Amino acid sequence: MKPIQSPFVLLLALALLLSACSSPSTPPPPQPEQPTSQAQQPAAPEAPAQPTTDPNAPVSGGILIFGSPQEPSILNTLLTTSSIEDAVTSLFVEGLVQVNDQGEYVPVLAEELPTVSEDGLVVTWKLRKGVKFSNGLEFTCEDVRFTMEGALSDLSQVSTSGYRDIETLECPDPYTVVATFSEVYAPYLRLFAYIVPHDAGELDQMETWEYNQKPWGTGPFVLEEHVPGDHLTFVKNPYYREAGKPYLDKVIIKILPSREVGIQLLGTGEIHALWDITEADLPTIAKMNEQGVTYAAAVTGENELLVLNLGANDGSAPADPNTAPHPILADLRVRQAIQYAIDKQQIADALLYGNVNPGNSVLPVGPFACPQPASEFNPEKAKTLLEEAGWKVGADGIREKDGLRLSLKINSTSGNLLREQTEQVLAEMLKAVGIELTIENLPSDVFFAGGESDGLRDTGKFDIILYTTGPALDPDSHLFSNYSSYRIPTAENEWAGANFSRYINADVDQWIDEAALITDTAKRKELYCKVAKQINQDIPRIYLYERLSITAHRNEFHNLTISPSFVDFAWGAQNWWLSK
Amino acid sequence: MTTYLIRRLFQAALTLLAVSFILFGLISAVPGGFMTVYAEKSDMSPEDLARIRAKLGLDDPIPIRYLKWLGNLAQGDWGKSLTSKRPVLQEISSRLPNTLLLMGLALICTILVAIPLGILSAIKQYSWFDHFFTTLAFAGQSLPVFWFGLLLIILFAVLLRGPDGRPLLPGAGMYTLGEPFSLIDRIRHLILPISMLTFVSAAEYMRYLRSAMLDVIHEDYIRTARAKGLREQMVIYKHALRNAIIPLVTLVSLDLPSLFGGALFTETIFAWPGIGRLYFTAALKNDYPLVMATLVIYSALIILSNLLVDVVYAALDPRIRLS
Repeated sequence: MKPIQSPFVLLLALALLLSACSSPSTPPPPQPEQPTSQAQQPAAPEAPAQPTTDPNAPVSGGILIFGSPQEPSILNTLLTTSSIEDAVTSLFVEGLVQVNDQGEYVPVLAEELPTVSEDGLVVTWKLRKGVKFSNGLEFTCEDVRFTMEGALSDLSQVSTSGYRDIETLECPDPYTVVATFSEVYAPYLRLFAYIVPHDAGELDQMETWEYNQKPWGTGPFVLEEHVPGDHLTFVKNPYYREAGKPYLDKVIIKILPSREVGIQLLGTGEIHALWDITEADLPTIAKMNEQGVTYAAAVTGENELLVLNLGANDGSAPADPNTAPHPILADLRVRQAIQYAIDKQQIADALLYGNVNPGNSVLPVGPFACPQPASEFNPEKAKTLLEEAGWKVGADGIREKDGLRLSLKINSTSGNLLREQTEQVLAEMLKAVGIELTIENLPSDVFFAGGESDGLRDTGKFDIILYTTGPALDPDSHLFSNYSSYRIPTAENEWAGANFSRYINADVDQWIDEAALITDTAKRKELYCKVAKQINQDIPRIYLYERLSITAHRNEFHNLTISPSFVDFAWGAQNWWLSK
Repeated sequence: MTTYLIRRLFQAALTLLAVSFILFGLISAVPGGFMTVYAEKSDMSPEDLARIRAKLGLDDPIPIRYLKWLGNLAQGDWGKSLTSKRPVLQEISSRLPNTLLLMGLALICTILVAIPLGILSAIKQYSWFDHFFTTLAFAGQSLPVFWFGLLLIILFAVLLRGPDGRPLLPGAGMYTLGEPFSLIDRIRHLILPISMLTFVSAAEYMRYLRSAMLDVIHEDYIRTARAKGLREQMVIYKHALRNAIIPLVTLVSLDLPSLFGGALFTETIFAWPGIGRLYFTAALKNDYPLVMATLVIYSALIILSNLLVDVVYAALDPRIRLS
């Protein structure tokens, strides 16, 4: 036998594994089967199941097997750390307000969207009556209060954002929640996106709760069994509030660590769906149409993007890059030239087979979507701008100025074939206008390491980095941490923030701050759109393409709808059904 | 012999202590650490992160964390997984039976396949039989496991169909989900992973045995045995094999810890819930209590199996004296 004995062998193995997973096998130009910007299934029919000859009418019964490359290790929403955990918990956990597959806030455990007082400080939720947890206990305001106390407790591993601003939370009756905030919390709609039942246990013993491994909730399903490393079985919640639902008897989450194998098993029908497909797998999925395989996808709000460093790239990392600007990228004309030189459509077409939209906005979807005009691909303009900026073509075709070569380094995570191909295409495109791009990729642990481990993003030791990020449905915290000048990571602020470009624009700072202090969605959206537009003028980042959340599934699996947030794979699971 | 054993066990304990220190240092030196899981959650405030880091005990300097870990271990506490909050021993023991089943059966199959093939290849040196299996052994040793496993799945679990039109063999897991327990179903799920493990390891064992046999059958005492009129079978199995098998015993004993360690690639491809994958996932998430426990137990087993090899050697070969 060949036991794996050293962590280094493992790292190597990981690299192999990832590269094997991400390689699209001999791709022909496939025809996209459905628009990528929407979940491809129509909205769920509301009628309960009844015997009928209509083939589109839901059928009750059946066991659905959902493949997942990762495994949830804990199911308490106050202690989850990975996206698969958030995804799986959505089978049994519900929130007061959630985001549907159209990217809109809809009331779930609340009767309607919460109302806000004139001054924005008092938020009132009316709760649905008669909702029961899968253990038979009724859901009331006490559970909402417990959830808040849980999030704020010592052992919680979730963001306390918003909850910590709640001064008092009162329950005038079991079905009314009144929260009084000490200051306006603009993204109040995202609060209580999950509810932890108040009988889960004592908060100071949260880590040993039985609930962590055997949870219950108000959602359509309840966990029956978890065999570590193998599968989780969910059965119907007997107390689920919608009569006749869920249609399925059981949902089994089967752990399939190799995505390649998962795709094969989807073809044979051993599983009905596979979570977390990447854009690079789409050509393979398209070829499996004859085997009864298709996919559902939604734009997530995340972009694959380039972060351009406006500050010095030697690690001196000042809070104000104007005192130590990047020798090349601090000049707006160079950043504009780079944007003009990049043919985003070609990247989307050639590397992603036209399955994605080119990225143009920091806010592509959701309640605050602000689509921006597409950036122009115009190498001639790029050359003109570089000439204007003083960069003259040198002997080898690469531009120079005052003895400095127009040479930039791009870093990304290693072992991701799609990213490597993207970098090579970018290098070609930039070379055409006289910019040299050298590629240096790092293991993702090293790439994403924080400033205390000398990580390149926090310390600013880079020219250009390529990765994926974007706002959750409420852009407040993302825009603040990624584009506000208060969030430039430095040693002094203990590397807080993600403004890795070291981008400073006083207007942007002000609009973000202003939007955080009002609760009117329309007004907030106006301010965020100003931010999105200004960012595209200043170009601290270049959005390459919009990332999708993709789930491949078999044709007999109906009503799978994908929510644009990465995590809610079970959005609408009560409506899932299997045709025989 | 007793003093020898005591001395070796003492050395083993010291080695293990050193190993655990080095492992802890290496794991802690990995950039990022456990807190990277929060890095991309932009709604986490610096205060939230600081509170979580403190609660997880990640604020202490590495030597202090090591001493704390060692102190707890001395009291029999291996700690709790950072991600699942379950005691790490519980995590490991939930995977142990699966791992033992897979690796144990694979080891038995490997020995059953490798020994006859090794002997036959040696005594029929340069025959078509020898050429065929030696080539196959080379293939088994040099094929990338990941690719080979995928090939097996595509062949037996996708393309080849049984009489009922369903794939010949299941492609992943330990049993068919949603169906009652069935021994046949369990065996069907074991066929592909065991075949792959056997193919890869039998190649190694067979080549060792073949060369050892070739050395031995040209020795004088084999000629003597033949000269005194012993049957060929007796010569091979009684005189030659007993000597040729010694290196194989070493090899097998040194592989015994892998019964615990599992086989990462096989477990990954065939979705087998074994310890190899448990460890790998924990390492990816920087879940250091879990990583430390698996590595330290694994190291202990390697050290012990080395000791075992030395003792068995003395028993098999009287020329070796333990003193």
